[in-house]
Amino acid sequence: MNPQLAGLDDLEGTYVFDLHTSNRAMKLNRFLWKMIGTEARAHFSKDPEQAMTEAGLSDTEKDLVRRQDWIGLIRAGASFFVLEKFARVAQRTNLEVYAMMRGETFDEFMATRRVPECR
Amino acid sequence: MAKIIGGIGTSHVPTIGVAYDKGKQNDPAWEPLFKGYKPVADWLAEKKPDALVFFYNDHATTFFFDLYPTFALGIGEQFEIADEGAGKRPLPPMRGNVDLSIHIAESLVNDEFDITTFQDRPIDHGCASPLPLLWPHAPDWPGVIVPIAINVLQFPIPTAKRCYKLGQALRRAIESYPEDLKVVVVGTGGLSHQVHGERAGFNNEEWDMEFLDLFVKNPEELTKLRHADYIRRGGAESVEQIMWLAMRGALEGEIRELHRNYYLATTTAMTVTLYEPA
Repeated sequence: MNPQLAGLDDLEGTYVFDLHTSNRAMKLNRFLWKMIGTEARAHFSKDPEQAMTEAGLSDTEKDLVRRQDWIGLIRAGASFFVLEKFARVAQRTNLEVYAMMRGETFDEFMATRRVPECR
Repeated sequence: MAKIIGGIGTSHVPTIGVAYDKGKQNDPAWEPLFKGYKPVADWLAEKKPDALVFFYNDHATTFFFDLYPTFALGIGEQFEIADEGAGKRPLPPMRGNVDLSIHIAESLVNDEFDITTFQDRPIDHGCASPLPLLWPHAPDWPGVIVPIAINVLQFPIPTAKRCYKLGQALRRAIESYPEDLKVVVVGTGGLSHQVHGERAGFNNEEWDMEFLDLFVKNPEELTKLRHADYIRRGGAESVEQIMWLAMRGALEGEIRELHRNYYLATTTAMTVTLYEPA
């Protein structure tokens, strides 16, 4: 256990992205990361199934991507910072992704914010 | 001899870049944010620094997790602003100073800070989100940046104390550069926020204020905190505030806070501060 991170076990809703997670979910993260390239975006838009197969995603990972299950992808080991690149391709804003990860509708989530118009 | 004349702390929220590009400077929801940068932009326009050294983090754009540097310094005449999935931003490439960057790399490595260097790679919102709020970009940026990326994404990440020491080493590098350049050091990130998991949307204004006060008066205290302390107090991604400590290390000693703007609108406590040596 990394002593810098010890004592977070009771902190709910937080998934620390360390080398264990990164190593386990390398293919998924690489697939999401590649969405910063115009060619990868075009390929995914044209044939998402083939793009996912080429990236070596497991059936579970493919299903999470198909359903745009944001919290499921985080639990499967995705780093939020590559997830947000896929969110751009899926035409979702980060605020929408936060709401979905919390299991709330967008309006419910924004109602908890100080300046909901700031988007 | 080059000299550090001040420090800036700033958030690097990507949405700031989006709002900037969409021209929301006078939108009532965004105005408090943009207005808060004005005194810092005015100070920069008056002091005319030649270079801004940015302690920032890459967001798995310039680098991917298969080879993720703990500390990395950019070298180049210019740095393209990266496409992060939504296309290119309408901004000119950021400018660099090859000799200055190489001198800093040599000085850091000879000072036992074995930093990675990168060339010819685009840089993401870690630098590019706040930069246009600090400096004008038409017809071109008025000076150069020295980008120093710190891994705050893939644990293990450097300790708060190590970041502070990097800042101290940067100061030695700057002060051993033969040309009379004026340098401002920028620490980016924070303040409180969490952007992943069910805890997304977490903030802690009380802790943010404590952080800002300790930052000036007793940064030593902040360098003793563990990553878990930052994660618990300010939200998972607020751990990136250790990059402010790199800036603080470069300004070692007494400092004065000339300006502070804190705007917690939706999910990140968007903050900008300005410091001068006391």
